[in-house]
Amino acid sequence: MGFKKVSAVIFTDKGNGSAPPYDLPALIEYARQLDGIKVVWKINELPEFNTQHMAEKIKENGLNYLILAGELPGFNKTFFDHAMRAAGQNPGAIGLACFREYGIISREDSDRAKAVLYCAAKGIRFDQVAIPNETAVHPDTLVIGAGIAGIQAALEIANGGQKVYLLEKSGTIGGHMAMFDKTFPTLDCAACILTPKMVEVGQHPLIQLLTYSELKQVNGHPGQYKVTILKKARRVNISTCIGCGSCAEKCPATAPSEFDALTALRKAIYIPFPQAVPNKYLIDEKSCIYVDRGKCGVCVKVCPVPDCINLDEKDEQIEITVGNIIVATGFKIFDARRAEQFGYGKFPNVITSLELERLVNAAGPTGGGIHFRTKDKRDNWIFSPENDQPKSIALIHCIGSRDKNYNEYCSKVCCMYSLKLAHLIREKLPGAEISEYFIDMRAFGKGYEEFYERIKEEGINMIRGRTAKVEQVNGQLLLRSEDILHDRLLEQKVDMVVLAVGLEPREDADNLSKILGITCSEEGWFLESNLVSDPVTTYKGGISIAGVCQGPKDIPDTVAQASAAASHVLQSIINGKVRESIKDLSLQYIVTKADHFVSTEEGQP
Amino acid sequence: MTMRINPDLPKELKKYGKGEWNECFHCGTCTALCPLTENNNLFPRRSIRLLQMGLNDSLTVNVDPWLCYYCGDCSKSCPRDANPGELMMSLRRYLTSIYDWTGLSKRFYTTHFWEFGMILFLALFVISLFVFVLPPLDPTLNAAGGVRINQFAPVDLIEIGDWIMAIIVASLLISNILHMYYMVILKDKSIKIPLWLYFKEFWLLIFHFVTQLRFSKCDTEGKKYWLSHWLLMSGYTVMFTVIVVFLPWFQTEEVHPLYHPQRLLGYYATFGLLFGLIVVMIGRIRKSGEKFKFSHFSDWFFIIMLILTTVSGIMVHIFRINGMPYATYYTYIAHLAILVPMIMIEVPFSKWSHLAYRPFAIYFANLKKAAAA
Repeated sequence: MGFKKVSAVIFTDKGNGSAPPYDLPALIEYARQLDGIKVVWKINELPEFNTQHMAEKIKENGLNYLILAGELPGFNKTFFDHAMRAAGQNPGAIGLACFREYGIISREDSDRAKAVLYCAAKGIRFDQVAIPNETAVHPDTLVIGAGIAGIQAALEIANGGQKVYLLEKSGTIGGHMAMFDKTFPTLDCAACILTPKMVEVGQHPLIQLLTYSELKQVNGHPGQYKVTILKKARRVNISTCIGCGSCAEKCPATAPSEFDALTALRKAIYIPFPQAVPNKYLIDEKSCIYVDRGKCGVCVKVCPVPDCINLDEKDEQIEITVGNIIVATGFKIFDARRAEQFGYGKFPNVITSLELERLVNAAGPTGGGIHFRTKDKRDNWIFSPENDQPKSIALIHCIGSRDKNYNEYCSKVCCMYSLKLAHLIREKLPGAEISEYFIDMRAFGKGYEEFYERIKEEGINMIRGRTAKVEQVNGQLLLRSEDILHDRLLEQKVDMVVLAVGLEPREDADNLSKILGITCSEEGWFLESNLVSDPVTTYKGGISIAGVCQGPKDIPDTVAQASAAASHVLQSIINGKVRESIKDLSLQYIVTKADHFVSTEEGQP
Repeated sequence: MTMRINPDLPKELKKYGKGEWNECFHCGTCTALCPLTENNNLFPRRSIRLLQMGLNDSLTVNVDPWLCYYCGDCSKSCPRDANPGELMMSLRRYLTSIYDWTGLSKRFYTTHFWEFGMILFLALFVISLFVFVLPPLDPTLNAAGGVRINQFAPVDLIEIGDWIMAIIVASLLISNILHMYYMVILKDKSIKIPLWLYFKEFWLLIFHFVTQLRFSKCDTEGKKYWLSHWLLMSGYTVMFTVIVVFLPWFQTEEVHPLYHPQRLLGYYATFGLLFGLIVVMIGRIRKSGEKFKFSHFSDWFFIIMLILTTVSGIMVHIFRINGMPYATYYTYIAHLAILVPMIMIEVPFSKWSHLAYRPFAIYFANLKKAAAA
């Protein structure tokens, strides 16, 4: 064989702005000492987009093979194709070492980055040699988070005949979807879809509910995870409580209701909402007087079931063994106080979309009416059905999303839910003036554009141009914005402003990722194996992700992804094996395999 | 009407300032936030749009950049970090180079070579005039103990030089303003301005030139910088008028008492210049606020030349009244060797021209508004 490969490695990440996430100097060192590598360049050392100059460089060094390495090196391939052709070389002789494809996102992944680079230098695909081992799988599954994603995944697996533990941090399953009034674009009632599923979960013989519990620790390996779970003290015996409600009636302590997005009050002993599963009471230790001062105990006195309420109950830990884990922890909404210019937290009638969602809900604090926020006798800000109703409402899109000052990404659901809310406001307040201030209207799904057209016909002002600031003038709210499609400044006075807040990773996502050994993206969403072709599994074997914890998405997508995650789990249970993570493969192992691969390939005619 | 598109416009504008203007996705936050923008002159977003689309002609008709005083609120709140405020600043530089029919302004703004070359050339020219034309140095003092400055640099000769310089600078500047008038008013066929409006709106031109009141309308930064900007502007104008128009009255051998208007005016102008310059300089060094975050080299050139002029002027004054002949003569030469290139470059071609363009832009914008009403 007269052909000898003379290659150059080109690192394609410019690193202007922020440094690449991997250890660039170490990789450059590694690339230098590899076989057949003549030069190593960073892309900013090369002539920018000048094919002729690049071709001269290729000729100068006598190169016949190029390796582009970086986060997404394929972006630059065309340019080097042309340069290779101009230099009289085979334009196809370009290998890509794509780091992002193999989840190299931090300095800890240096060894894998080197392995990817090694394979590219050898001219073989990384996934041809980096095949992880398979181990026997335990048939039980843990689903973390019991929102719509967790519920769907748990049901799919349990209906497939396998045992599922469903872990939930709060006192009830249901998650954010239970708080919504309607779903877009069909305007189905959210509860009508969700509650039957919740009941099914609650009654399913193969699903063990672990509500009011948290994940503490995960040991073991893919297929055999030993999971420690903290069961927080509910202080009410879940098996004897009959849900009569006499305790809550007499309980003297109140706190804002999390389920009602803090728009109403609940007692310290409470059921989050009437359709909760399990439909049993629990005591919130933060607001309970007994927990705080050691005396009260009114609930114990009025409870008709003996020994049902135990105010001194302590947290306990349990340990379970599972083969697969599905993470479906969801999101939190953007804290609108951070965007001061919109006046949330300063002006009482600037409210978030989630608050409005509770207001328009017939089971919400106002019984479905939209009313102003006022202070009650005890200085709590609440919405009461006795308050006046607004005559004009403005919805502002993209609060905390698509904004480099907060989150750069699009939260994907806000345009559609704002349209839905506009429709619901129109339904509740037929005479009201409703305006939507948006940057771009992202109605991207099946039936969504049609939904947008429908809402426009309902007499809602659509204004292109996000509002710059909201001020309070004589009790009304003044919005200042640029009406971009009509080239004019706009000042509008309205009675109520609804902020379409974006979605953010939960505060505990980072901690959870450490416990599980999976990674988070820069924004804090859990990182999938491949954004396009494998958005469900992670780099850790036996751990899948579903729902918004992987990235913003709407309910249909969440349900679909949850089912996909369940199918991954069922697949591994049926095979009896689970693939370990490619994270566990050593550099030496891949190098040996790659060398072996090359020698057997070359031996063939 | 056909529109000509210049796809290289964004690239070209990068030479006049820094900014990620392609990042803008047109949410309108900047315009809605701007305290100065009005319905007929919407900025800064509209200008970004024109730039992104490469509409040269629409950009040159547009006087919006001159209506902005760069408080930086728009850049601070921009969700894309697209620096709309810096775009307005860069467009002012760009428009200055467009209004200038000689093409020199463009060269000064975009190449260091031309700028420094021209400074050096003019400085050497001034020095050589002193070396070849003027009489030898005379170390004797006059009766009052002052340096005999008018023996060394006869005031009538200097005044002739002054007038020559003033005429060159003025004719360049006036022709540039006429060019601006042509581009902004005459080329804009959509509007007809009756003659009487020119007289009716003229007082606004004077008013804005003298008060700079629009600047104080800027919400936060404007209130902070209006005074220093006004002191700098008025100090410069006073000094310029005095040394060009009233030189025989200003450059005297006689040492006047402190309360004499000659000294009072001189001290006021010096104070205004120094105060304004120090505020700007500290701001630019610390990069405090959006206004001073990005400094084009022409900004530094302007500050450094002006501060050297001021300091050398102060030194001439101190040496002269304290009877130090040689020091006076040398600093006097240095003073002129800095002053002449500064005025020749800055006034018609560079940053100082905004002194004229800005009031005229407001005047033209008001004319258009009144004509449309």
